[in-house]
Amino acid sequence: MELSQVSVGFAGAVALRKASVSIAPGARLGIVGESGCGKSMLGLCLMGMVPDAGQVTGSIRLNGQELVRAPERVWRRHRARDVAMIFQEPMAALNPLKRVGDTVMEPLMIHEGLSRSTARARALALFEEVGLPDPAARLRQYPHEISGGQRQRVLIALALACNPGLLVADEPTTALDANVALRIIDLLVRLSESRNMALVFISHDLAAVSRATDQMLVMYGGDIVERGPTAQVLAEPRHPYTQGLLGARPGLENRGRTPDGRRKRLVTIPGTVPPLHDLPQGCRFSGRCGQEFAPCARQRPQPTALGQGQEAACHLLSPLHAGHGTCRGAA
Amino acid sequence: MSGRLPVNLIIGAVLVALVVGVAALSLIWTPHDHAAMTIRNRFQPADGVYWLGTDQLGRDIVSQLMVAARNSMTVALVAVLIGGSIGVMFGLLASALGGWVEDLIMRVADIGFAFPALLFAIMLSAVFGPSLTIAVAAIAFINIPVFARVTRASANQIWMRDYVAAARAAGHGRFAISRDHILPNIAAPVIVQGTIEFAVAILAEAALSYLGLGAQPPSPSWGRMLSEAQTLMFMAPHLAIYPGLCIVIAVLGFSLLGDGLRDITDPRLKRRRA
Amino acid sequence: MSAPLLQLDGVSRRYRMPRTALLRPPPVLTAVDDVSLTLNAGQTLGIVGESGSGKSTLARMIMAFEAPDEGAVRFQGAGLNRLSGADLRLARRRFQMVFQDPFGSLDPRRRVGWSIAEPLRATGAEDSAARVTQALYQVGLRAGDAQKYPHEFSGGQRQRIAIARAIVTRPALLVADEAVSALDVSVQAQILNLLMDLQEEMGLAMIFISHDLAVVACICDRILVMRNGKSIETGDTGALIAAPRHDYTRSLLVASGIET
Repeated sequence: MELSQVSVGFAGAVALRKASVSIAPGARLGIVGESGCGKSMLGLCLMGMVPDAGQVTGSIRLNGQELVRAPERVWRRHRARDVAMIFQEPMAALNPLKRVGDTVMEPLMIHEGLSRSTARARALALFEEVGLPDPAARLRQYPHEISGGQRQRVLIALALACNPGLLVADEPTTALDANVALRIIDLLVRLSESRNMALVFISHDLAAVSRATDQMLVMYGGDIVERGPTAQVLAEPRHPYTQGLLGARPGLENRGRTPDGRRKRLVTIPGTVPPLHDLPQGCRFSGRCGQEFAPCARQRPQPTALGQGQEAACHLLSPLHAGHGTCRGAA
Repeated sequence: MSGRLPVNLIIGAVLVALVVGVAALSLIWTPHDHAAMTIRNRFQPADGVYWLGTDQLGRDIVSQLMVAARNSMTVALVAVLIGGSIGVMFGLLASALGGWVEDLIMRVADIGFAFPALLFAIMLSAVFGPSLTIAVAAIAFINIPVFARVTRASANQIWMRDYVAAARAAGHGRFAISRDHILPNIAAPVIVQGTIEFAVAILAEAALSYLGLGAQPPSPSWGRMLSEAQTLMFMAPHLAIYPGLCIVIAVLGFSLLGDGLRDITDPRLKRRRA
Repeated sequence: MSAPLLQLDGVSRRYRMPRTALLRPPPVLTAVDDVSLTLNAGQTLGIVGESGSGKSTLARMIMAFEAPDEGAVRFQGAGLNRLSGADLRLARRRFQMVFQDPFGSLDPRRRVGWSIAEPLRATGAEDSAARVTQALYQVGLRAGDAQKYPHEFSGGQRQRIAIARAIVTRPALLVADEAVSALDVSVQAQILNLLMDLQEEMGLAMIFISHDLAVVACICDRILVMRNGKSIETGDTGALIAAPRHDYTRSLLVASGIET
């Protein structure tokens, strides 16, 4: 799958700006950002599910085929078989009146024309693959009879039913308890490896992204502000926003007290995430960034390559403005 | 809130405005005295003087319909306000106290639901004699359980909200919370219900008047005009058609308005339309 | 030695579930099972557990929203469940709560200043306009914000308003139930810092409830881990993180990114 220069605009607001992403088979890509940063919109682009009011420009290619303005009919052929998606709220995504087994068997019978018994066998195998305990009994149960983590596993089984090459997971663990979330992440990683299936993991949770992916994007205000190998970006974030995000997350270094007996404070990013229709001109992060200088308010920063596949869009890193202070962590 | 208003809301509002406007107008002006009888002029056809003609006693039909509209609106308004207030009070009480009080109130409301309204009105008339007051009381009474149910259901949802928990944490009692938080936040569904009940009340008033248990002569009412016209059905069908049409317009108007209001205040429906 | 600020002795809470069969007794869910804890003035205690672990039910009992079936909740030595309505109302000045959802915890039809002053009115305290303004300043908002409605604020600002409402009576204890869970990471850090500021300035004792051990660890002196209604591990934050005795605690550490 390949996106280049994809923008999504709504009346008066830009939800996504010139995003270029390429996803190789079996790759695991994390998309990180706060609410309203465009990460879910990027996920919807991958599924061809941008709401009708959105103006999509640029190029979206799936296995070489251009799909950016493809009609719903064409997208529907690809969904489930080539690209599949799982969502944040597993209860909302399941029909409460249907046995979960039937829910999973349905696309197999429709898309692949399998008989009921073959579909049941496939569903059973899928339930086993996603690690549902006692899969034969689960097939006959209703969504309200199983736990949240198991529901998410059912949805993963459903997404895998037609062997997609790419699975988009939008905040799949946010609604789950921490240790259940961990097991779901590990399951997604295992499935991606065993099936050579690409995984796009959208989350606000840096710990989850770090565990699930090997490449990551950081988004802010509809822009991709930093990207690179996950371990590299998390160890040496170069964009001030990424640095802020990492600092804001409580960790061991924030614990305990300073010598004067006060508790250590977290690093914060001042202000709040601006709404998409009211983004600052120039760098989207200007106004909240602590290291602003002249060009930030006027000019949109371009991505600067930083080696080892890492790049960030910040004027501080641009060779044009060399000498204007340095980012923390850049040394 | 942007986007188009639902069609039923617009049609309902227009019809309601028409009926209410005519009723209000009758306070200051009618083409003729609605009660003036001129036997000489009986069964006049519609013309420039009597726009819809006259009845068997020579009274002007338009004037009667206008005053009847006012009577009907007044009965419905008073009945729904009284029944609604009492019902909302019981609903709030049931929701605030819960437990056996809630069970008791709601079971009594169920019984009230099961009780046929007309039968109740006939019973009251038998005891106190037929009058407009009795009609109002009967209609108000049947409204109590309806509002109690709607109020309790909406209020129970608001009681689950965090801001109610916050008010409890602040130290407020159940009654203060009902007044400060519950009531303002259930206003929308209660108003919607009130509009729909208004239509029901108009219909009930017409039925009671038809049976002679509502407004007493010479005060005109659609229901009694209908019953008086019944015997003259073949001689002067228009005497039955006009009040019938008025009832339809008024009931339809308030029903559509209620539906429309529900559509724009119910967030679930809103999302479906979007 | 005076009585601790808050003491829970063997507190249990059971709920009767809907009947599954006509003749069988209805099943009982034990939401909180024999939990004891002690909190002194100015201390912070974290309660960690997944959903359904009983941590929110425990909070509701501490707040005297419901009474325990067994055991007692004592606040400043007084059994909360034995107080009369009027005494309990007065006692509520001393313990307040911040809720999870900043969009649900403020009445959408009331001005912010009205909501913040609510605990003052309810407990019969005076001088509310000045107290509201002071509370707004304390949480980093402006006096003029009192005239606005909740929908005019972002999630983080609403949580500040909810905190202002909780501190306006100058309580001794603040119960925060998942108070930062619904917020973006960058805003979450601001609110955590604010809570630390207030805790130190006002000498607040705090019960901080969360599913996220990392969040709890950065703000609490001690931690209590709950699972299935039981307290399974409790200890000083540092010791608990360095050497969790329970496998479940370890899995929470991994999940919160403290340990990998």
